[in-house]
Amino acid sequence: MLSLAWSTLRARKGAFAGAFVALMCASALVTACGVLLETGLRGDIAAERYAGAPIIVGADQQVHWTEHKKDKVKTKSKPLTERAWLPADTVDRLQKLPGVEKVTPEVTFPARTGRGTAQGHAWDSAALTPFTLAAGRAPRTDGEVVVDARAGLRPGATVIVSATAEAKTYTVVGVTAQALPSQGSLFFSGAEALRLAGRPGQVSAIGVFPASAEKAVRDALRGTPAKVYTGDARGPLEFIDASKARVTLISMGGALGGTSLLVAILVVVGTFALSIEQRRRELALLRAVAATPRQLRRMIGREALLVGLAAGLLGAVAGLALARALRSLFLHYGVMPQNLGLVLSPFPMAAGLGATLLAGWAAARLSARRTARIRPAEALAEAAMERRRPPWARTLIGLVVLAAHITLLAVLQGLDTEAAATPVTFLAVVLAAVAVALLGPVIARVAMTLLAVPLRLSRVSGHLAAANTTANTRRLASVITPLTLAVGMACTILFVPATVGDAATRQAREGAKAEIVLAGRVPHTATDAARALPGVRAVTEIVPSTIRVGRGKYAAQGVTPEGLGQTIDPGVRAGSLDRLAEGTMAVSATAAGHMHARLGDEMRLTLGDGTPARARVTAIYDRGLGFGDVLLPYGVVAAHVDDPLPRQVLVAGGSADALREAVRAHPGVQVLTSEQAQTLRKAQQSQNTEVNLVVMGLIIAFTAIAIVNTLAMATAERNREFALLRLIGTTRRQILRMLRLETLVVALVGILLGTGIALATLAAYGAGMTGAARPAFPPLIYLAVIAAGALLALVATAVPARLALTADPAEAIGSRED
Amino acid sequence: MLLQHKDGQGTPAPGTEAVSLTSVRKVYGKGAAAVTALDDVTVGIPRGSFTAVMGPSGSGKSTFLHCAAGLDTPTSGTVRLGGTDLSGMNEVKLTELRRARVGFVFQAFNLVSSLDVAQNVTLPLRLSGTRTDKRWLEEILARVGLTERAHHRPAQLSGGQQQRVAIARALITRPEVIFGDEPTGALDTVTGRDVLTLLRQAVDETGQTVVMVTHDPVAAGYADTVLFLADGRIADSMAKPSADRVAERMAVLGGRA
Repeated sequence: MLSLAWSTLRARKGAFAGAFVALMCASALVTACGVLLETGLRGDIAAERYAGAPIIVGADQQVHWTEHKKDKVKTKSKPLTERAWLPADTVDRLQKLPGVEKVTPEVTFPARTGRGTAQGHAWDSAALTPFTLAAGRAPRTDGEVVVDARAGLRPGATVIVSATAEAKTYTVVGVTAQALPSQGSLFFSGAEALRLAGRPGQVSAIGVFPASAEKAVRDALRGTPAKVYTGDARGPLEFIDASKARVTLISMGGALGGTSLLVAILVVVGTFALSIEQRRRELALLRAVAATPRQLRRMIGREALLVGLAAGLLGAVAGLALARALRSLFLHYGVMPQNLGLVLSPFPMAAGLGATLLAGWAAARLSARRTARIRPAEALAEAAMERRRPPWARTLIGLVVLAAHITLLAVLQGLDTEAAATPVTFLAVVLAAVAVALLGPVIARVAMTLLAVPLRLSRVSGHLAAANTTANTRRLASVITPLTLAVGMACTILFVPATVGDAATRQAREGAKAEIVLAGRVPHTATDAARALPGVRAVTEIVPSTIRVGRGKYAAQGVTPEGLGQTIDPGVRAGSLDRLAEGTMAVSATAAGHMHARLGDEMRLTLGDGTPARARVTAIYDRGLGFGDVLLPYGVVAAHVDDPLPRQVLVAGGSADALREAVRAHPGVQVLTSEQAQTLRKAQQSQNTEVNLVVMGLIIAFTAIAIVNTLAMATAERNREFALLRLIGTTRRQILRMLRLETLVVALVGILLGTGIALATLAAYGAGMTGAARPAFPPLIYLAVIAAGALLALVATAVPARLALTADPAEAIGSRED
Repeated sequence: MLLQHKDGQGTPAPGTEAVSLTSVRKVYGKGAAAVTALDDVTVGIPRGSFTAVMGPSGSGKSTFLHCAAGLDTPTSGTVRLGGTDLSGMNEVKLTELRRARVGFVFQAFNLVSSLDVAQNVTLPLRLSGTRTDKRWLEEILARVGLTERAHHRPAQLSGGQQQRVAIARALITRPEVIFGDEPTGALDTVTGRDVLTLLRQAVDETGQTVVMVTHDPVAAGYADTVLFLADGRIADSMAKPSADRVAERMAVLGGRA
């Protein structure tokens, strides 16, 4: 049977091309996602700054908690979002240990210069890398700095550095011989570095020499918050963002991989169904000549395995290239750190190949079921004609899937975290598309009953198009499905961020009371200057971070409590913002629901750098999307973040001109109107979602390929029909026009269904995430989506049709059907 | 040998008839839309005979063929193929039976386009997992005159040659019966005659049983016996037919229908 499958494949390359392309794309996507996933799970992060120190002592950069499930106790850990620091007295303890020759404490802080953000350190800890001087000398006074080799500065130059306090001008006194691949480095004198770090009595890490002291260090630190990092473990300590990147990679790889696999199965089932439909006569002959239904199913299954094997192998190799491309994209968007290399192992390729084989085989077997079961006499008679009624089982399963989709929408309405809602959203769209695929013949019948009337207005082409689409609803159904899927998927992927983003923007705008916003990293002196201006009623500094309550992670904002009511209105529904002070917090209604927090409850928090804290809930507000899940006093948040400078300062009262004058001395601080600030915020938001869009765009591209596939296949099989039409006097133009009308009908139905699915899904998503079933449908993007879908469909029909029409009709009609 | 009308007088001894139908009815559809394609047909087809089945359109000749060949199951009545009762057999059993005991030649689309001539001929053997006897294959290809074309694809052959491949495929399993469904319907007179001669030779030289549905009196003239069907019943039969007599008889039948 395998050789039979093989010769069929060889002879009918065209018919299998569609399935081949679909399977190859699926394999590439799954492989690429697998590489991302594996990189997220196992990727090594090379140490840069700490590369020269054999032992690094640092704080635990993870938060741990225990979960009780029945009688099992599980300890869970998640990476911190801000760096945890160590008490400085650890240094003294290490110095006294036997075998320890040198102990080098390190402070790290963001130091922004005109060319971007570098990491600031004290020159005393240069040996951790090690950095050596290529020119000049070490910094001695508070106003001196050593820059790295890449900075392009020479001794004697001046540079303005904005660290955690206000910006200050430094004189370059030395240039190092080295530069780190993924970060700039600035070295200050010891005292200046401590001041700039703003964490008195704390160090970010401690280097210990030599390597042989490891055991002594480990023994001495047992039971303290300090941890010992050696070898490859130093990298993750240095780049705590990398842990976040890993989580992103894992979730993105999982979501993309899962969705593309589902889409792949749907697309491949459609393609196989169409190619088997086209081979009905041949299969019927095989049945008559003496193939049992089982043999036929096996043969079709093996054909699929052969196609899957070739497509899967090719796709797996392409997947590696795709993973590389995605990596450079992630680097560009800063989602992935430079030094997190891709992990290339055979596993993702094997997964891609395996998934492809399985998808292809399952798809073929599914599509072959009816054809194989059919009685040969029926099959021979039926081969040229379409079956009258869609089988009831198919309709029934279609209705069941539709019910599942509706159930999922109901579930989606209750989900208010992005992590939970996003996968359900895509699953809902895929389920809806499956329902459309199953109910396709019924839908096509209904649609044609409605559309045939306007079509018949055109006497030749329209009449023929109406007759064709009405008579051949099965073909119509198989081309509607990919269009529906593509439009539904594209709209959902594109408009999910907008649905939340619009709601967030709306909330932020409605709750904005301050007329003027200072944006950028605003030093406190600038804030003070603003506060002193005449007419200014209140000034609110805002610094973002994340906190954890239990296992949940929440977006938190540190805000100046004084006069908060004058600058923002987060829609307080219970309690009051006036009482916000150290030891208290305000929580959004959504977050309160997750934390099980009520007004007056005292909650245990973990701040960004892992410091535990307690806070009583003094206010619960509604505009959680606009103002974050949690509002804490500025001081509480700022003391536990890497960059304590406010990103925004809201000013109520006062004039913009006076403010502009007041902050003139602080480069990088912008004075914006409230409206401009919203626009900026929106732009930043879309920057964040852009990378998601590009990644999910791969799925859209995949569904687009499916459109082309099915339409081209469905058109190419109609050679003889076109030849006949021409022989009886239909002109080429009339045939092409007929095809265009048919395609437009298909596109119209597909677009309507896809839009409906997207609208319903987005409404459910919006209801859960924002509390309002208000899907965002930016009209221009939407128009672009449907125009692209219709255009693809037209081109995919026109090209094979034109090719078919170049043949001599008399010859074409004589040719064998297969 | 003459066709035996049995008029319900018991079943003949097995071994003398290749195919026998007893009180076979076939009804398509239900209720008011029901169409009786075969109405109480009882007939036996002797081994080693060449039988043509004729009748106007809608007389039930295709249904007759499908039921007799196990391609379709009758609504009531029994069909025996070489003594084996087909009633109650499931699709897999029927397929296996057809594979072993029946050969088919259809009007058109007889061949799998992706397989070459030799592969098409040996397809039933491959499907049943039987080894191909090379000498037998060569003999059969020689008999149908396609030795030179064993490795050509169907698309490279003429219509007549394609039908000869189909006959070779039907012969390869040494079946009880070969059924032909308008085997010359898509051919011109000359090539049609070649195909009929081949079938005739199979009957005369190897004692093969052949049942062929046709509407062409000339084709029917090659048979030993012609069965005339009208309105789902056997209206008449004619032994040692000639094309003229068949045409005459058909004209009467057609007029009556």
